[in-house]
Amino acid sequence: MNSTATAAAPELPTKRDEAWRYAPHADLAQLTFGPGGASAAVPAELEAQIPVFDGPRIVVVNGIVDPARSELATSITGLTLSTVADVLTTEPESLTRHFPTDAEPVDAFAAFNAQFGRDGAVIRVAAGATIDQPIHVVDLALPGAGHNTSSTGVVIEIGEGSEATIVETRLGHGTESGGANVRTTITLHDHATLEHIVVQDAPPAQISLSRVDVTQGANSTFRGRSFNLGASYGRVAHAVVLAGAGAHAELSGLYFGFGDQTLDQQVDIVHAAKDCSSRQLYRGVLDDSSTGIFSGGIDVQPGADGTDAEQENHNLLLSDRAEANTQPRLEILADDVACKHGATVGQLDETALYYMRSRGIPAAEARRLLINGFADQVVDHVSIDALRPWIIDRLGHADA
Amino acid sequence: MLHVKDLTAAIGDKQILKGLDLDVGAGEVHAIMGPNGSGKSTFAHTLAGREGYEITGTVTLDDADLLEMEPEARAAAGVFMGFQYPVEIPGVNNMYFLRTALNSVRRTRGETEVSAREFLSTAQEAMDLVEMPKDFLHRAVNAGFSGGEKKRNEILQMAVMQPRLAVLDETDSGLDIDALRIIAGGVNALRGPERSMIVITHYQRLLDYIKPDFVHVLVDGRIVESGDHTLALHLEDHGYADFVNHDLDASGRPLSGATS
Ligand SMILES: Nc1ncnc2c1ncn2[C@@H]1O[C@H](COP(=O)(O)OP(=O)(O)O)[C@@H](O)[C@H]1O
Ligand SMILES: [Mg+2]
Repeated sequence: MNSTATAAAPELPTKRDEAWRYAPHADLAQLTFGPGGASAAVPAELEAQIPVFDGPRIVVVNGIVDPARSELATSITGLTLSTVADVLTTEPESLTRHFPTDAEPVDAFAAFNAQFGRDGAVIRVAAGATIDQPIHVVDLALPGAGHNTSSTGVVIEIGEGSEATIVETRLGHGTESGGANVRTTITLHDHATLEHIVVQDAPPAQISLSRVDVTQGANSTFRGRSFNLGASYGRVAHAVVLAGAGAHAELSGLYFGFGDQTLDQQVDIVHAAKDCSSRQLYRGVLDDSSTGIFSGGIDVQPGADGTDAEQENHNLLLSDRAEANTQPRLEILADDVACKHGATVGQLDETALYYMRSRGIPAAEARRLLINGFADQVVDHVSIDALRPWIIDRLGHADA
Repeated sequence: MLHVKDLTAAIGDKQILKGLDLDVGAGEVHAIMGPNGSGKSTFAHTLAGREGYEITGTVTLDDADLLEMEPEARAAAGVFMGFQYPVEIPGVNNMYFLRTALNSVRRTRGETEVSAREFLSTAQEAMDLVEMPKDFLHRAVNAGFSGGEKKRNEILQMAVMQPRLAVLDETDSGLDIDALRIIAGGVNALRGPERSMIVITHYQRLLDYIKPDFVHVLVDGRIVESGDHTLALHLEDHGYADFVNHDLDASGRPLSGATS
């Protein structure tokens, strides 16, 4: 059976690590990591929860690609889909960015992932290709006997001038503790465009950790969306390096917490080249005694003149026990930089509720309209028509 | 239709309405005028059901006790209030808002809901009535609207809701003459034998367009004078000086332009 890593286990982050300040450290310490779990049976209930839209799909169960549920063979010109395990055998050198030998992992969970996340999805788009259908990577976590937390790798490379849309959905099942630790490495070559959507809706017994590292070439565009909805602790971290001049990164995210969830978004955008622009727009809705965290970094390196960076974080507290922590982190070491940031934490507008009720809309419906109106401003960014109703439907359940 | 008897309303220590009586019959239009701070908006909100007031007295609409009802139940009973300050609701689409409102009251009344298509033609008529631009339905409720657009939107909502009792709180304030004409035209088109209206205004000029059956003067939480439309003309010439204590004269003039 899979065993827990013991030899030279990396040290877990603590409260003193800024990026992990509000994380549930005791719960994180309970997670155990090991090689991919033996493929568990996927219950029909879980299968039914997976959003459905046209396009190739790769399903990873407990860190191992499930060939029966995945379509790796594709007739789409310019698109190659493989498993991390296969590419590690056939051409491991092509994965050096994902498994670097010359750099330390950023934290213990990245280290565990590099050590055990030896399977997952590799998505490559050749230069000059436009992939019309979204590619869907589904990561399913089924903790149980002999398997606790899965480690999955996703490697995405978008060739020069190419365009693609990729959705990563993270779901799970059961009441056992454990979860998923997914690491995604994205490379955008010059003039490439990628819309990349992370939808996290793990069950309340689980922890879901996502880390997305993005490197962008000149004049490339990265549109990152995150919907951080499930898990007891749901974390989506983005580290984006604008390495080529004129690159544009646009990140938006929605976190919607209830019960005693903690939903953590960590964003770091490094402006390393001239004339790049970046946008961060995150919104949180927090009910019951949930906690939302937004920590957004804008790091403008020397020489990155002409940087244009904006960041916005808005939070809606639905209960007086809910909490929002928002923190901009700005470091600006270049000239001619336009940088704006703003954050708000507020409650449902009582006057708006009354206004709607005075028009005959029942209180519960008025609340839902207001909450969805707030959240829609992120949901509307999603370009896949078939995914938006799934998200809206999911938000409706959370509020019910 | 509407019977208001000895109505008082207070917020904390502040007594705002101090025993207000008013009877409005079916099809009648009543104007309420009064100086700033006299309690006009508070009266409108006690009819619409805003929370936060301590209220005594009785208010019945078609014999139903309004004061016992939630705001949404009052809407279903036929109350519509045009807000002095219409509320902006970012992210909520106008069309969706209006259709949800209409279908909510229809459901409460046990009527069938209107389909999207039926609703569109209802909404189109209402939009024509107040000369709203085409893109209006696809915008968020009042968000980024000009003052005049917000007030026209109130009348548009009234046209969609077809209320039994419309309470219009300073729907004319802050409007230029063209907008005033549009608003008044909308209100007049919606007058009918089964619909009563209470038109709260600061200015006589609205009453040039909407001729009320009765005019009441509200001062310091009470109706101190009632009459026909000539009372409004008297107020225009003399202000509220005849009705208020002399310290309040300056702020009490109806043409001072300030609103609250
Ligand atoms: N929420 C409130 N808390 C305390 N006082 C209020 C509140 N709302 C209104 N008032 C006071 O009640 C009085 C009447 O207000 P309002 O009904 O708005 O008057 P009008 O519409 O006639 O100008 C004013 O003195 C106002 O300051
Ligand atoms: Mg007022």
